[in-house]
Amino acid sequence: MSLSKPFLNIFLALHRFYSLFTDLAEIWGSYPFREIIERARKGVDAIYPADVLKPSIMLLKGANIYKQPTRYATLDELLLLPPAFTPLRLKKMSELLREPIFSDVDLRHNLGGFNVNMPVMVASMGSVQVANKISLEVARGAARMGIPMGIGENVATMWGYSRRIRSGQPCFKERVMTYLENLDGNVGGLTIQQSVEDAYNELWNKVYSDPDIEPFIEKGLIGFEIKIGQGSKPGLGGEVRLSREEAERLRDKYHLSEDPQNTLRDSIERHSAPGTFVPEILRGMIRMMRNNYPRCRVWVKLGPFRDLPEVLDVLTSEGVDAVWIDGREGGTGMSPYASMRHLGLPLIAALCSISRQLESRTGSTSFIVSGRLYDGGHLVKCLCLGLDGVAFGRPIAVSAWVAGARGVENYLRTVELEAKMLISALGKYRVQDLSREDLGCLDRDIAERLGVRYVYA
Amino acid sequence: METEVSVELQRLAEILRQSWKMVRTPRMRAILKVQDVACDAMRSFLKSEGFIELLPPIIGPVTDPGIRGAKQATIDYYGREYKVMSSAILYKQAAMSGLGKIFFMSPNVRLEPIDSALTGRHLVEFVQLDLEMAEASYFDAMAVAERLLSEAVNTVRDTCQKELELLGRQLPAIKPPFKKLTYDETLEYLRVRGIKVRYGVEIPWDAEQLISKMIGEPFFIIDYPRGARGFYDMEDERRPGILRDFDLIYPEGYGECASGAEREYRYEKVLARMKETGEDPRKYAWYLEMLKEGIPPSAGFGIGVERLTRYLCGLDAVWEARLCPKLAGIYSP
Repeated sequence: MSLSKPFLNIFLALHRFYSLFTDLAEIWGSYPFREIIERARKGVDAIYPADVLKPSIMLLKGANIYKQPTRYATLDELLLLPPAFTPLRLKKMSELLREPIFSDVDLRHNLGGFNVNMPVMVASMGSVQVANKISLEVARGAARMGIPMGIGENVATMWGYSRRIRSGQPCFKERVMTYLENLDGNVGGLTIQQSVEDAYNELWNKVYSDPDIEPFIEKGLIGFEIKIGQGSKPGLGGEVRLSREEAERLRDKYHLSEDPQNTLRDSIERHSAPGTFVPEILRGMIRMMRNNYPRCRVWVKLGPFRDLPEVLDVLTSEGVDAVWIDGREGGTGMSPYASMRHLGLPLIAALCSISRQLESRTGSTSFIVSGRLYDGGHLVKCLCLGLDGVAFGRPIAVSAWVAGARGVENYLRTVELEAKMLISALGKYRVQDLSREDLGCLDRDIAERLGVRYVYA
Repeated sequence: METEVSVELQRLAEILRQSWKMVRTPRMRAILKVQDVACDAMRSFLKSEGFIELLPPIIGPVTDPGIRGAKQATIDYYGREYKVMSSAILYKQAAMSGLGKIFFMSPNVRLEPIDSALTGRHLVEFVQLDLEMAEASYFDAMAVAERLLSEAVNTVRDTCQKELELLGRQLPAIKPPFKKLTYDETLEYLRVRGIKVRYGVEIPWDAEQLISKMIGEPFFIIDYPRGARGFYDMEDERRPGILRDFDLIYPEGYGECASGAEREYRYEKVLARMKETGEDPRKYAWYLEMLKEGIPPSAGFGIGVERLTRYLCGLDAVWEARLCPKLAGIYSP
C-alpha cells in the first residue's frame, strides 16, 4: 500500500510546518526569553510580576513562578532563608544613624583582580555571528555598569584584529577599545581568550604590545583567560569557519574538513581541538603567562568536569586570579545536541563537587560560576555558597539584541536591585557577610553535600 | 593623558628621531669601536675553541616563541606567513647536528611590549652571539660563557683605554669561574632583602638589576623552574620541575648578559612542553620532524651584543650601543 503523491506531499508539508512550530515552541519554552526581554525594555520595573491582566486579577491568580521541570536539580533547589534577628542590620544602623534599607547594600567587590561595581561579569562571547554582531553594545553596557567582560576565542582570527574583515561585524580591537573607553575609572576589567588559531597569530602577544591597549594594561584592567572547556560541551572544542583564502593560507598548519583548493564552498569548517591538559602542562601554561604578561591577570575557564577538585587544587596553588566554572546549562549557543543531552555536570552538582574548596577558601583566587543564571536570586545564592561572582551570557546577549547598550544596562540594574533586596532581607549589607547559613535546600542529599540546612529539617 | 612615562617616552622619541646623526659624535664613535673590538675578541676566542661561525638565518615558518611577552614580526612570504627570527634557537640545533660546535652573529627582531622602551635594556632589533655545542651539558656551556665574557672584557680593557676614558668608564677586570646561584637561592637572597618574587617566573627586571648591583662580579643564576622558559630548555630527570638552564648576570646593575640551557631534544617531551604555550604543535612541523628523526643532545646560549657593549662602555641605556636603534612603540629611522 502506498500513499498517492499529492497526498504524501501535503502530509510532508504539514509535518514540516508542525516541526517548525514545535521547534520554535521548544526554543521559546526552554528559556525565559520573555522575562529577560521585559527586563531589557523596562528596566527595574520588570522585576515585579507584570501581566496583561489588571493588578486585582493578578492578586487572585498569582504570578507564574513555575518553570518547566528539568531532569536534574538547579539552583532553584535552593532557597534564601532570612532570619528575624539581624545583628548585622543593627551594626549597619549604628553606622548610618537610621534604619538601613535595601539600597544601603554595597555590592562592590573584587573579581579576579578587578574592582567591580557588582560581582557579575559578562561571559566571554566569541566569534559566533549573533554574539559578535551585538558585541559593541554589550561592551558599552558592561563598561558603563562597571563590571568585567570577557572576549571569547577566535574573534581576531575570524573578524580581524584591528580591521574589519566584513562590514557589520566588529573586529577584535573595536570590541576591546569600546569596552575600555567606556569604563569609568578603574572599575571593571577585560579578559581575553586565545584559541589555538589565535595563538598562531600570537593574539596575547599582540595585545600585550599594542600601544592603544597599553595604558589599560598599565592600570591593571586586562586579563588573559585560558579556556579549558565550556559548560554544554566539556571535552569538545569549538568550531571555526574559515574563508577559503584563509583556509588556503593555513592549510599546512590545520586539519580542515576539506581541501580548500578542491571546493567551491566559500568557507570551510575547522573543528578545534579541545586542548590537551595534564597538571604539569596547566602549571607550565600559567607560569608562562605570569612570566610573559606580568601586568595581566590570569583567568581560567572550566567546563563541568568530573575532576574539578583536582583541577582547582592546581589552579589555586598556582595562584590564578580567577577560576570560572561553567555548568552544563551554560554555553548552549553552539553545541551539538548529543553533548547538551549527555555531557557534564549540572551547575549545582559541580558546586557540590567543589564544596570542600569553597568552604576553606584561602589565597586570592576568585571563584565564578555560570550556566543559565539570569537574576539577582541566582547571584545571591552563589555568593552565599562562597563564590565571588557569576557570569551572565545569554541574558546579556538577548538584552543587547532587543535594546542595545541601554538594554544591557537596564537588565543589569534589575539584577543589581534584586540582589540588594535579597541581601538586605538576609539582614546583611556587604557581599562578604553572606554565607551558607543564609541558604536552605529542598533536597536532603544536596543540602548535605553543600553544607546548608535541609528546609524540611 | 600626560603621565611621567609618556613625557619620558616623548623625550626619547625626539632624541631618536634623528638617530642617524649620533654616529658622528665622538661618544658614539667610541662606543662602536669598543663593540667592534669585543666582537673580534669573541670571534677569535670561539674559533680557537673549535667553533664554526655560520651565516645567520633571518626568516622561517616559525621562530623562538620563548620571548617573554614580545610579539614576533611577520612577513608575507608568497602568500604564507613567515616569521623574522626572534632568536635562531631552532636553526642552531639543526646546525649543531651537522657541525658540532657552531655560532651565529644573529640579528633578531622582537616587538617588545611598550613598557620595555624605558627599561634601558630592551631593543626591538638587536644582535646576539648565539652558540650551540653538541654532546655538552649546561655546565660545559657556562664554562664557555664565562671565558667568552672574560675574553671580551679583558681585551677591551687592554686595547680600548682611550675610548673607555672618553666614556668615563672604569671597567674592572674579571676572572672565571663565576659564582653560581640557583633560582631558589636567588629568590631567597632577594626575599631576605625585602623583595618578593613569585616562584615560577623569571626574575623581574627591577629585582634582577638590584641583585646585579649587590653581587660585585658577574654570576650565574641556574636551575630555573619549568614554566619560566621556552620548551627547548631541558628538565632535570632527577629533579622534576627544575630546568637545566642558566642566565649570566652582569655586575653593577647591568642585568642579564646571556641566557642558555641544555636542550630538550626528545620528541615526545618537546611535544608536551609545547602545549604549555597553548600552541598547535603542527606549526613546528619541520622542527618536530627533525627531532623525531633524532638529533644529538646539546647545550648553548645567546649573548646580546648591544647589552655587552652597554656593560663594557658603562652606558645608561642599551640603545646607545646601536646605529639607529629601534625601541618599542617609537617610530625612528
